[in-house]
Amino acid sequence: MTTISLRDTDSATAATPGSAPVQPFRTAAGGLIDRRRPLEFTFDGARYGGVQGDTLASALLANGVRLVGRSFKYHRPRGILTAGSEEPNALVELRSGARREPNTRATTAELYEGLEALSQNRWPSLRYDALAVNALAAPIFAAGFYYKTFMWPAAFWEKLYEPLIRRAAGLGRAAHAPDPDTYDKAFAFCDVLVIGGGPAGLSAALAAGRAGARVILVDEDHRIGGRLVADRREVAGRSGADWVADSLAELDSMPDVRILGRTTLFGVYDHGAYGAVERVSDHLASPPAHAPRQRMWRITARRAVLAAGAIERPHVFGGNDRPGVMLAGAVRTYLNRYGVLPGRRVALFTSSDDGWRTVSDVVAAGAEVAAVIDTRASVAPGLRHGAEAAGARVILGGAVIGTKGHLALNAIEVVTADGRGETIACDCLAMANGWNPIVHLDSHLSRRPVWDAAIHAFVPDALPSGMAAAGAASGAFTLASCLETGGRAGAEAATACGFAGTSPEVPRTDPESVGHAPLWRVPGSKGKAFVDFQNDVAASDVELAHREGFRAVELLKRYTTLGMATDQGKTSNLAGLGIMAELTGQPIPSVGTTMFRPPFTPVAIGAFAGHHRGKDFRATRHVPSHAWCEEQGAVFVETGLWLRPAYFPRAGESDWLETVNREVNTVRAHVGVCDVTTLGKIDIQGRDALAFIERVCANPFGTLPVGKARYAVLLREDGFVLDDGTVARLGESHFVMTASTANAARVMQHLEFCRQWLWPELDLQMISVSEQWAQYAVAGPRARDTLRAVIDPGFDLSNEAFPFLACADVTVGGGIPARLLRISFSGELAYELAVPAAHGDAAWRAILQAGAGHGITAYGSEALSVMRIEKGHAAGAEINGQTTARDLGLGGMLARKKDYIGRLMKERPALTDPDRPILVGFRPVDPGQRLRAGAHFLAIGAAPSLEADEGSMTSVAFSPSLGHWIGLGLIRRGPERHGQRVRAYDPVRNGDIEVEICSPVFVDPNEEKLRV
Amino acid sequence: MSDVAMVGAEKLESIWKPRSAWAGYARAGRHGRTGGEAGITLTLRDEVGLATLIVADGKEAALDRALEASHGWSLPEAGRAALAGEEGLIWSGPGQWLAIAGTRRRLDGLADAVTGLASVTDQSDGRALVRVSGPCAREMLSKGVAIDLHPRAFRAGSAAVTSIAHIGAQLWQRDDAPTYDLAVARSFAGSFWSWLSHAAAEFGYGVEHGPGR
Amino acid sequence: MRIRCPHCGERDNGEFSYLGDAAPVRPDGPNASAEAMHDYVYLRDNPAGLHRELWYHAAGCRSWLVVTRDTRSHEIHEVAPARDVALSRRRGEVA
Repeated sequence: MTTISLRDTDSATAATPGSAPVQPFRTAAGGLIDRRRPLEFTFDGARYGGVQGDTLASALLANGVRLVGRSFKYHRPRGILTAGSEEPNALVELRSGARREPNTRATTAELYEGLEALSQNRWPSLRYDALAVNALAAPIFAAGFYYKTFMWPAAFWEKLYEPLIRRAAGLGRAAHAPDPDTYDKAFAFCDVLVIGGGPAGLSAALAAGRAGARVILVDEDHRIGGRLVADRREVAGRSGADWVADSLAELDSMPDVRILGRTTLFGVYDHGAYGAVERVSDHLASPPAHAPRQRMWRITARRAVLAAGAIERPHVFGGNDRPGVMLAGAVRTYLNRYGVLPGRRVALFTSSDDGWRTVSDVVAAGAEVAAVIDTRASVAPGLRHGAEAAGARVILGGAVIGTKGHLALNAIEVVTADGRGETIACDCLAMANGWNPIVHLDSHLSRRPVWDAAIHAFVPDALPSGMAAAGAASGAFTLASCLETGGRAGAEAATACGFAGTSPEVPRTDPESVGHAPLWRVPGSKGKAFVDFQNDVAASDVELAHREGFRAVELLKRYTTLGMATDQGKTSNLAGLGIMAELTGQPIPSVGTTMFRPPFTPVAIGAFAGHHRGKDFRATRHVPSHAWCEEQGAVFVETGLWLRPAYFPRAGESDWLETVNREVNTVRAHVGVCDVTTLGKIDIQGRDALAFIERVCANPFGTLPVGKARYAVLLREDGFVLDDGTVARLGESHFVMTASTANAARVMQHLEFCRQWLWPELDLQMISVSEQWAQYAVAGPRARDTLRAVIDPGFDLSNEAFPFLACADVTVGGGIPARLLRISFSGELAYELAVPAAHGDAAWRAILQAGAGHGITAYGSEALSVMRIEKGHAAGAEINGQTTARDLGLGGMLARKKDYIGRLMKERPALTDPDRPILVGFRPVDPGQRLRAGAHFLAIGAAPSLEADEGSMTSVAFSPSLGHWIGLGLIRRGPERHGQRVRAYDPVRNGDIEVEICSPVFVDPNEEKLRV
Repeated sequence: MSDVAMVGAEKLESIWKPRSAWAGYARAGRHGRTGGEAGITLTLRDEVGLATLIVADGKEAALDRALEASHGWSLPEAGRAALAGEEGLIWSGPGQWLAIAGTRRRLDGLADAVTGLASVTDQSDGRALVRVSGPCAREMLSKGVAIDLHPRAFRAGSAAVTSIAHIGAQLWQRDDAPTYDLAVARSFAGSFWSWLSHAAAEFGYGVEHGPGR
Repeated sequence: MRIRCPHCGERDNGEFSYLGDAAPVRPDGPNASAEAMHDYVYLRDNPAGLHRELWYHAAGCRSWLVVTRDTRSHEIHEVAPARDVALSRRRGEVA
C-alpha cells in the first residue's frame, strides 16, 4: 500500500491500513447519497472510502483524486470531465481476473463494497508515465501521423511500427479468462416507449400512462431524474428530486408502465424496434445467484418519445484537458447529487447564462468561487450581482487561455476584454459552452439533424416514423419547456395508439435565463487545446486538416480521428465542426452534420450473445440413439445443427482409423446399424402429390408403384443439382421424400416455394415428419437375419416378398407402427427401419440385441462415408452447388418426357461441354500413398497452372475393403479415361502424387450383394 | 437361424419402452432460486397425442363439419386454439392445424374421419411438450418469445408458431392464469431445456411429470 | 425490421428469409423456351422505390409472402400470401 503525499497539485489521499478512510472533499451534508452506508474501494491499489449512491468518479473526487488516467496518444494526465456516459477521459479497468472490464467510464460505474479499479494506458505508473515523452514528440503525432510517419520503409511496418504504436496507444486490457457471468435477453412490447427519465421523459410517461397506454421508460442512470437530480431546481414548489420521486411513485402504481433504470437505449431500428441493455448486476461485486450480469432488451413500440436530454460542450483552449477542468453541469452534479466538492476554489468559464447557475451551487456547498470568466461582453445584471455577492471576481468579454499544475489544475491563465493577462489560482475550472441535444438515437435511421441558429445546436428534424422528441433532446432547454413538451409528446403518443391522451398541466418552476453565445475555439491559447479528449485531437489538428485540404466533415473525421473513439465524439464533434466552419468561413451546417450509428454507448458482446455461448452458441439436435451413443463413448461430429456419432471406439483400438476400419469390415462381412434419423423426411399427400413430385424431381416417378421407393435427384432452376434422396410411395397419393441431412431445411423451403408460388393450383398437403420418425440403417449380409428378430412376426422379409427398393408398413415390439424400406447406401443388403421417435432408443437397443449373435456393430458417419465412397455415391462434397446431374454420372436417369425444375437450364452449352469435369474414381499408383481431398489434377509433367487444371479430388477414404486409399473426384472427360494416370497436386499440404483414374464404384460393381 | 430370432424376440419384449423427449435433460424437483414459492412450474408432457391436419383445397367447411361430427371439434381461425380440456385443434399455418388429445389413442380414428378432406400425419413423437405455469410464467417466456404476450395481445386460446432461442416452437395459452403449452421439435429438446432452465432459474422453478402414457 | 405476416401478425424480420423480386413468372411446361427461362432465372430489376419481393416466414407459418417494400426507406406497404397472389395471376387478374 502506497500513501500518496498531499500536494496542492494533486491532493489525493489514500487511507492507511486499518484506519477508516476519510473523504476530504465530501460536503458535510446534502446530496442524494446514503451517508449511513459507507463503502470501501481501491484505485491503483490504494484504499479509499465512498458511500452508497456514489459513482467511482464521485468517490474519487470525494477523496481528492483528480488524476485518473493517461491520454490515448500523448499520455497526458487526465481527470474527470463529465458526470455521465459522455465521459471521454476517466476510463478505468474495473474489477479483476475474469471480470476485468477495460475502458469503463468512472462516471457511470456505481460504487460497491470492495470495488477495484486500475488506471489505464500508463507505464510504469499513473503519476510517472515514461511514454509521456510522446507529448514532447507531439509534432510527429499530429493528425494523419499514421499515414505520414510510418510510411517508409514498408518492411518496418510489421516488425517495428505496428508494435510500437500498439504499445504507445490503446486503452485498457480485456480479461483473458472466460466471462464467469451470464447474460439474459428479453422482449418487450409497448404502446409508448419513453427514452430518458428527466423532466421531459417523466412528463411524457405520466401523460401516456394516465391515458392507459402501455409505457416503457428507460433511463441509463441508476438514479432516474436527469438534471432534476443534478441541479437545485423547484417544480410545483418542491425540490426537483421530490417531484421525481412522486412521479416515479405514480408511474410505479400503473400496472402497464414499466420503468427500466440502469438501462441504455443504444439503438433504433426499422419499424419501431429498439435495442436496450439493462445493467442488472453491474452495481454489485458479482451478480446474485441465478441473476444475469446484464440483460439485452429488444423493445417493440408503436410510438416513442425521445427525451434523452443534452450534453454540455467544453471550451477549446490551451490545457483544457488538465485534471480539474470539468464541464459546469458536471461540477453541479457532483456538488448537488453526490455531496462532493470537485475543488475548494472553483473558477467558471462560461459562454452561457446556464453556466452561472454553478456559482450559487459552489457557494451553497461551502466552497469558494475564484472567478467567473464569461466570453460575452455583457450579461444580465442579475447574474453578475449574484456572483459578485458570492465574492467572485467577474471578467466579462474575457477568456481562459491556459492552465497550470503538474498533474492537476492549480491555476488558470486568463485574458481580459482589454487584453491583459492574469493568473488566477483555482483547483477546479467549470466550463459552460452551451448544450447539444442528444441527436444520436434519431440519426440511427439516417435522419439528419438540422442546425438551429437560435440555440446554436443541431436539433432533430424529420424523426423516424412514430418517434417524437421532447425536452432538451428537442432543443427545449428550460425546465418549464421540458415539462411542457414532454407532457404533450406523451399525450400525443398515447392518442396515436388509440388512447385519450391529454397534456398534463405544466407545474410551476423557478425562473431561468437561456442566453448563450458559444465560442468554438479560444484565440491565443497557450499549449494544446483539445477538441476530442479521448482520441487526443487538438484544435491544431483540425487546423492542419484544413491546411491540407481535408475540410469536408467526413474527411476531417477520418484524417484526424476526431469523434472516432469509444465515446463517438459526444463532447467533441460540434467543436470540430465549429472550428472548421471558422477556418473555411462557412456556417456550421455547410461544413456538415455528424451522424451516429448504434450503439449509443459500447455494449458488451456477452449481452448480445445472451444465453447463446459455449455449448449453447447455437442449438444442437440429438439423434434418437444419442443416449446409447453417449453410454458407449461415441465420438460425435457436428453436421449442421445435428450432433451425429462419427465412430464408436472400442477398447484396444489405437486410433480412429482402426475403429472405422473395424466398423466397415463388420458391415461388409456381417451387419451394422447406423442412425440416419438426420435425413429430412417430408410427407406429401393429396390429389396432385404425384404431379408435384414429377415437377420437382428430375427423374421420372409416374411408374413408381405403391410399396416401392426410388432414388430421386432434385435440380435447382439454374440446372445444378440441389439435393438427392429417395421417394417412397406409401399409397396412391401418399409419398415420403427424404432429403440429405445438410439440405433438409433448404429442400423443405424449396418445395414450399414450388407449391405455394410456382404451382398454387396443385392440391397437395406437405409436412415434415423428420422429427416423428427415428430411422436406422441396418446393413450387411446378416441384416435380414437381424431384422427378423426386431420386426413383429408375420412379415415376410424374404428377397422375393420384399425385394430391393421395396417399402412397407410393419410393426415392432408387439404392435408399434413402423416403416421398413429396403434401400442401401453402403452397397450391402440393407434396410432402413423407421419407428416413432419415442421408441427410437428402444428400437436401437433392440436391433443391437437382435444382431448380437450375428456380430453386429454400431457404425457412425465416418464408416457411412467410407462405404459410400467405396460405392461411388455422390454426397455433399460432390453435390456442392457447382455440379450438374451429368457431372455426377446421373445424366442417364433424368426424365425426357416431362417438365421439371432445372430442365432447360441444365442444357446450357457450358453445362453440357464434354470437357467438363465428371465424377470418377481415383487410386494411388503407389498403394502405400495417401490421397487428399482438395488436390487438383494435372497431366503428368504439366506445370501447375490454372490452365492446366483438369479438376479436383472431392472425397477420399482409406478403404479397408481394398487395403489402400481411394478417392472420388471430378476430372475432364473422366469416364473416357479409366486407366490413365494423372498428378494429384496439393501444394497446400505438399502433396504431389500419381493417381490412376478408375470407376467410382470400388466395391461390388455388379451389385451382387445388394439384391440377395 | 430362426432359433436365434425367436430367442431374440423374447428378450426384446422388455426393452420396448418409450423414452420421454425430455429424458436426460430435465430432472423432476425444485431448481434455480431457492426459498419462497417457485415462480415457474414446468410440467413435462409425454402422454399427449399430436397430429398435423392439412386441409385439401376448398374443403375447409366440409372438414369443419366432419370434425364436429366425429370429435366435437371446430377449426380455430388463424392465431387461435380451440381446446376443450386437453383436446382440440391449434392453428399452425394457413389450412393447417395441430390436433391434440390427452392420449395418443384418442387420435386413432382421426384420419378415417376426414378422408378426402384433409391429410393427417402423426406427430405424437415429433414434438417435445412442456406446460409452463406459475406466477412468473409470462415474464419468463418474454425472455425468449419475440411476440407480445400481454393480455391485450395474447389471451387464453391464443396460439403462435415462432422461434424461441433460435429453436422453432409452437405455443398456445390455455387459461388466464396464465398457463402456456410449448412444443418444440424433439431433437431440439436438450438445447431448448438448456434455455428454459436458464430463463426460469432466477424465479425458482419446479419440474414435474405429466400423467404417463 | 418488422414484417406483418398476414397469417401470424407482426413479427421480427429474423423469422423470415428473403428471396428477391416477385415479378418474374416461371415459364412453365414442355414448350417453354430456354431464353424465357434464362430471363426468369437471371434478369432482375433493382428499383429505388417500391419493390414487390418474396419472403418466406421460415420460423412461423412457413408461408411464402409477397412483401411490397420501399427500398429507400424500408417502409412496407403491403404483405400478401404468395399463394393467393400466384392464384390471382393464374386467373389472369392483375396482381
